[in-house]
Amino acid sequence: MKLKRGKLLVDPPASASSDIAFILIIFFLVCAAVQPETGIAQVLPKTEEKTKKQDQSKNIEVSITPNSIVLNGSPLKLSEFPLKLTAALSKMTRDEDRIVTVKSAPNTPYPLWIKISQVIEQAGGILTLELESDRVINVE
Amino acid sequence: MKLPRKKLTASVPSFAMGDIGFLLLIFFVILARAQDDSHVRWEPAKLKKVEMVASPLASVTIDTGFKNYLDGKEISTDALPAALSKILGDTPSGKRYVFLKVHKEAKAVHFEPIIAAISEAGGDLVHILEPEQPIPSR
Repeated sequence: MKLKRGKLLVDPPASASSDIAFILIIFFLVCAAVQPETGIAQVLPKTEEKTKKQDQSKNIEVSITPNSIVLNGSPLKLSEFPLKLTAALSKMTRDEDRIVTVKSAPNTPYPLWIKISQVIEQAGGILTLELESDRVINVE
Repeated sequence: MKLPRKKLTASVPSFAMGDIGFLLLIFFVILARAQDDSHVRWEPAKLKKVEMVASPLASVTIDTGFKNYLDGKEISTDALPAALSKILGDTPSGKRYVFLKVHKEAKAVHFEPIIAAISEAGGDLVHILEPEQPIPSR
C-alpha cells in the first residue's frame, strides 16, 4: 500500500514583507519624483518709496496694457518692441541710464508681462516697476 | 572532566533593517511635506527661454482663484513681507531664492503687489514658468 504524503504549506517569510514595502515605496517615490522646476530669475535689489523725481524724464518708459505696448509714448507691436528697445538702450552707457520703468495696466495678463520683462532683461535694461501706490521696484 | 560550554552568538536581526529604513523614510517624507504646496491649483505661464532653477527657501503661489499662498498656506499680501523675512532670516543674498508661481490668468493687479512684497523682504525672485514648445513645422 502506498501512503499519500501530506502537502506542506509554504508561507512567504513575514519578515520580508517590510523589505518589500520599503522597496515599493522607493519605487513609487522615484516614479512620483517632482519634475525639476524651470523659470527665470530676477534680482530685486530694493523696494523704495518714490520720493525723488530726479532724472525720471531720462529713463525709458514702457507702458503695458492687454492690447498694446507703448515705448516712450510710441505704441508698438510686440514683434517690434525688442528691436526698438535695444536701439534705445544702445545709446545708454551708464547703468543708471539703462533703467526701464514699466507701468502696467491693472488688467495686464501675466504671460504678456513676463515676456516684456524678459525682452527688457535680454536687451540689457534694468527693469523697474512703477506701482500705483507710488512704490518703485528695481528689477535687475 | 570539564565540559566545553556551547558558544552562543548574539547578532542583530537583519530583517529589522527593512522596518528601520521604512520608518526613517516615512519620517523624512513627512518632514519634506512641510513645505508642500501641491494642493494649490495653478497653471504656469509659458516662455521660450527658461532655465532650471535652484531649490527655494520659500514659495509664493497665486492660484486659480487669485489667492496668495506662502509655502502652501493662504496669506494676505500685507502679511507676506514679514512672513518672508522670517523665513529668509540671515541667508546671504544670492541664496535667498523665493519661487513665484503665478497662475497664467493672473493680472498685474494680482502679481505686482506680490513682487513688491518679495522685493521688500529681500528675496531673490524666481518666476516659475513652463518652456514653450515650438510649433512643429510641416
